[in-house]
Amino acid sequence: MKPLRIALTKGRLERNTVKMFEQIGFDCTTVHEKGRKLILPIGDNEFEVVLAKAADVITYVEHGVCDLGVVGKDTIIESGGSFYEVLDLGFGICKFALAGSKGIDFYRGYASKTIATKYPNVAHSFFEGKGMDVNIIKIEGSVELAPLLGLSDAIIDIVETGATLKENGLEVIEKVCDISARLIVNTASMKLRKQEIDTLICKMEQAKEAKQI
Amino acid sequence: MRKYHKITPEGTKDLLFEECLTHRYVERTLAEVFSARGFHEVITPGLEFYDVFDTNFSGIGQETMYKLSDKQGRLICMRPDSTMPIARLTATRLQNLPRPIRLYYTQYIYCNNPGLTGRNDEVMQSGIELLGTRGRRADLEVIATAIEALGRCVSNFRIELGHAGFFKAIASQLPIDDAVREDIRLYIESKNYAALDLVLDQLGDNESVAAMRRLPRMFGGEEILEEASTLCLDVNASKTLTYLQELYSALKTLGLGDHIMIDLGLVQRTDYYTDIVFSAYAEGYGDAVLTGGRYDNLLAGFDAPMPAIGFAMNVDAITDILINQGKGKKSFGADVLIHCDDGFEIKAFSYASNLVSEGLRCENSVFETRKESLDYAKQMGIPRVDFVGDQIETRIRLGGETE
Repeated sequence: MKPLRIALTKGRLERNTVKMFEQIGFDCTTVHEKGRKLILPIGDNEFEVVLAKAADVITYVEHGVCDLGVVGKDTIIESGGSFYEVLDLGFGICKFALAGSKGIDFYRGYASKTIATKYPNVAHSFFEGKGMDVNIIKIEGSVELAPLLGLSDAIIDIVETGATLKENGLEVIEKVCDISARLIVNTASMKLRKQEIDTLICKMEQAKEAKQI
Repeated sequence: MRKYHKITPEGTKDLLFEECLTHRYVERTLAEVFSARGFHEVITPGLEFYDVFDTNFSGIGQETMYKLSDKQGRLICMRPDSTMPIARLTATRLQNLPRPIRLYYTQYIYCNNPGLTGRNDEVMQSGIELLGTRGRRADLEVIATAIEALGRCVSNFRIELGHAGFFKAIASQLPIDDAVREDIRLYIESKNYAALDLVLDQLGDNESVAAMRRLPRMFGGEEILEEASTLCLDVNASKTLTYLQELYSALKTLGLGDHIMIDLGLVQRTDYYTDIVFSAYAEGYGDAVLTGGRYDNLLAGFDAPMPAIGFAMNVDAITDILINQGKGKKSFGADVLIHCDDGFEIKAFSYASNLVSEGLRCENSVFETRKESLDYAKQMGIPRVDFVGDQIETRIRLGGETE
């Protein structure tokens, strides 16, 4: 049988997932000693780990070249796609928030607002839900700069501790939604390899709960 | 101005040789299966009025349709699906035919996918519609046809059965409005357990909530039906289960049980499908290769209410699977190159037709000299060259050398 292929978002989510795998009892030495390799067999060769950027994890899973993936909810909301989102892994926790200059009422006046963000789709659907017409500008780097420079009225960004906002005289106006790492599964794999995938989901769920207690 | 005359639009591609042959092979194979079972082929226009695909009951989002306008400025779209046009034509032109009406098609559909995802915007679909009849025999006929069609093309596949009525029955027991119902449906469709739990937690704790919570996990073999029957269900939900069980048993009796799975969380396009729904997955392709179901309310939208069931199969997906498994159809060069000396053109033509009637693939050489023809044959790997002059001489090339 072919190994199940799991795409992990490089960085923090990768480290957390590997920890979880080790907790379950999979041998992950290959991941620790990966060097420049991108496809790494783990456990008893039942699994193969692929390291990728967040949005690519979704792409690989959607096309079925990877059976499963670990990716942040932020990327899922922004990129969309069709796959099964089967488990909230309980790590990588943060939130999407609308933030603006401290002490200024964002909703004042009738002029349409400008929002700077790295996540235009999240921003669009958030304001669409409010029935508000806004002008969205995509920024690639530090989004906090945009309101400081006067380019936008507010930003929509990932907020963990809020320290960066505070240091720059910004504050959270409203939470957009919570974010955490998710386990996603390709739809065809879920049907064709149900048993193996179910077993893995079950183990990961147990590992998550064991950690919480 | 920039010209785009050397590329094709994103989501489209040229099909060459092996791809093309395999594609046609799949189309032909499916057409044979459908026609052998008494279905009649139809072709509907590539362009249809936008109104045919009314989003309220087609379940096709307007953002995914390629739209243009006709000479009077009315909204037109490139066919995004074949079932709606077939419902239209049945309602308007086939009202007087005896029922049931059995139709099949092989045609492109167009979908304006988001960019840079590697998806095809132009997809060849082949499928059947059985209109004007309901009941177990009709459903069985269509599902058995789907299994036969898949089995003729690929070796490892599963078809999963669900029932749109099951979700509807449970949802009707919950104190929710349409928007929440749609959220719940979406979370079940994407098996998003976490989000589903969040919504359901707000609805208290009762049997219907518990059943809904289990729904996305309820897929697998026959045991799923047993498991489902232990949930406390209302009459409607129980009826759908009994029906699925009947269908499953019937398919098992037909020897098709190995290919069948149950997925009660199959809730796609629930406003469109009314009863049985199914999709199929094959090894080597990351998405469903076939989707279908019963859509008893659709024809009413064209003022000709009648029950109907059908499915569409993705010919491109099957072609990809076959090629990736090395089972693509290879294209062959000519068996014989025929060179004619000056003045023997007519003789050469009739000689060629004789060879063709013997089953050989013949190419008439367009070169002036025998030497050029021989060189060409060598280049193209054509094993035999026949010179037509006063007499006919045959040269056979063995291992690259001309004898």
